[in-house]
Amino acid sequence: MTDDREKIFASIRRGLRGAEKSAALRSAASPLTSMIQHGFESLFIKFKRELEILGGLAEKVENERDVSAFVTDHTEPASSLFIYDDLANSLKSIVESLSVNRRLRFGSEFAAGYDKREVAAFDAALIGCAACVAETGTVLIQTDMRLPAALAPKLFVIVERSRLIASLDEVFTDRFGNSDASNLFLITGPSRTADIEKQLVKGVHGPKEVIVLFLNQ
Amino acid sequence: MTTTEPQSRDFKKLYKKEVANLRLRANLKKATIQALDKRNDSFAELDFDLLRNEAKKIKQESVSHLNELLSQFEDNAHKNNCAVFYAESPEKANAYILDVAQRHAVKKIVKSKSMVTEELRLVPFLEKFGIETVETDLGEYIIQLAGETPSHITAPAIHKSRTEIAQLLHDKIGIELNDDPTFLTGEARKALREKFLSAEMGISGANFLIAENGTAVVVENEGNARLSTSAVKVHVIVTGIEKVIPKFSDLRIFMRLLGRSATGQKLTSYVSLIRGPRRQNEKDGPDEVHIVLLDNGRSALVGTEHQEVLHCIRCGACLNVCPVYRSIGGHAYGSVYPGPIGSLVTPLFFGPKNAPDLPFASSLCGNCTEVCPVGIGIHHQLLAMRHEIKAKTKRGVEAFIFRTFRKTMLRPQRYRLFSRLARIFSSTPIVAKAFKGWTHYRELPKLPARSFREIYKSERGKE
Ligand code: SF4
Repeated sequence: MTDDREKIFASIRRGLRGAEKSAALRSAASPLTSMIQHGFESLFIKFKRELEILGGLAEKVENERDVSAFVTDHTEPASSLFIYDDLANSLKSIVESLSVNRRLRFGSEFAAGYDKREVAAFDAALIGCAACVAETGTVLIQTDMRLPAALAPKLFVIVERSRLIASLDEVFTDRFGNSDASNLFLITGPSRTADIEKQLVKGVHGPKEVIVLFLNQ
Repeated sequence: MTTTEPQSRDFKKLYKKEVANLRLRANLKKATIQALDKRNDSFAELDFDLLRNEAKKIKQESVSHLNELLSQFEDNAHKNNCAVFYAESPEKANAYILDVAQRHAVKKIVKSKSMVTEELRLVPFLEKFGIETVETDLGEYIIQLAGETPSHITAPAIHKSRTEIAQLLHDKIGIELNDDPTFLTGEARKALREKFLSAEMGISGANFLIAENGTAVVVENEGNARLSTSAVKVHVIVTGIEKVIPKFSDLRIFMRLLGRSATGQKLTSYVSLIRGPRRQNEKDGPDEVHIVLLDNGRSALVGTEHQEVLHCIRCGACLNVCPVYRSIGGHAYGSVYPGPIGSLVTPLFFGPKNAPDLPFASSLCGNCTEVCPVGIGIHHQLLAMRHEIKAKTKRGVEAFIFRTFRKTMLRPQRYRLFSRLARIFSSTPIVAKAFKGWTHYRELPKLPARSFREIYKSERGKE
């Protein structure tokens, strides 16, 4: 089917012909407008406040053992957890200790074209992230498997403290703009709606709970 | 009339019906006031004017380089393995989307919220060909079940109360009758989850297209757009040509403005930055991504005095502050685009003949211009459009009245004669009948028996 590209471009050209000649497209990036202070502690306070206003949870944890204890405390015994590969590979002791009383599945067990229904049945997903943004309580994720983190009712994000950045100014830069991956998701708190009489309800289609743990490593 | 044309010609009939609906007005009042309060709070820690100026500059730059940016976006989208299709009309866009669906033997489509797809009347079109197309945004799902159209840009079911929604879901999907929003949302989640797991194709809009890297940006709160774009084999993005902006860094400005203006959020729950189909090393995501860029009257606005209408980011803030919208709701406009921006966009996209009264559906109070995050002079635009429409349509009686009024005001003798006649006849039934439209809601002021001049003259005579 042939498209209308040339017709549309000609119409725009006609419109611009009479207009004043505009300056060339700017080469500079849009300005930075954030005033947020750097330094992990102050960023963490800001991140925690923003995420918790939205009904999420943010905590500092010292080591992998603390992460396992936290996840165990916040999931039901015998519940099923999906763990993303990069996290499972870098934090092996978490996997070991959780496997005692939780059913664990890993990204490596799934190939392209996997059964969506199998993934939709997990009670929680554990994922690492590219960065966290203090200004808005946002988590940036880029994955080779989009669905587990999008479908699970509970999402644990485990992240090194060095990945906490101050503001959205730092998100919209070449660092995240030029990646090869097909997707980058910014997640800010639980999935929510206010479509019924403006009353807020969490967990519409995505996670109802979003928990971010900052690991001291 | 094509299937995509609005019903705005019937505005006068429609608004009369809606304005009498007191329950609707109460729902709207509650919802819009709450949205506005949250908006105002959320801007407290930011310099709104500074951001708005930046946003306006970027949008001006985008429209004045539209061809260049569209070409750049298209090149980068191709590099990202997306197909790009330009459609001059809704019919052309619909035909392309249908073709994509039929080539993949699609039986079920999950769709996230997009005003452009409403403009296309895409859902009824696809359903005509036997393709089940499910709205997955909760508000849109509700109105799809009700067989209605959205009544607000960002809150489509704003006109419905929880009791009405409970009854609707009870009747249509057979759930228990319970009007608790948490319960209703949970039941809708279950029904829609099944659709996500079985659909082959997803359709979404895009809030922004980034020319420099070919990214489509989809903003939402529920996570349904994320699923509609991820849990399917084929993803079709449908949006307007004016959505392209130059740089990824421009999102620093727009992301801070959009969520706050729409719902008072610092950032919406999900921002999906989509750069094409699943890569080889990725295990899910669509195998194909198609981007349909719709014109439908947009390119003809470039270089005209209405060009800035193309800057709109569809936040809905101008609806929430509009006293007319708050009294009559979205359906009265007879268009997928209601409120102040709808009163501009509808005649511009679909022709003034299809919406001759909409630019007059405004008190010109300027609230809309005040809150617009991209600095569109909405009420100035509305006024300009009124002049255009008036210039084209001569209405006999009205034109005669204004001509006579002008002549009267230009000559003191005529004015005096007119005011004397007005004083004599103002309290007669003929006048009351002639002004009955006006006096239905208020009283015609009583004119004094004597004019100031007459009193002055007689008092001076006494001295
Ligand atoms: S005209 Fe301005 S306020 Fe209204 S929807 Fe568009 S961007 Fe928002």
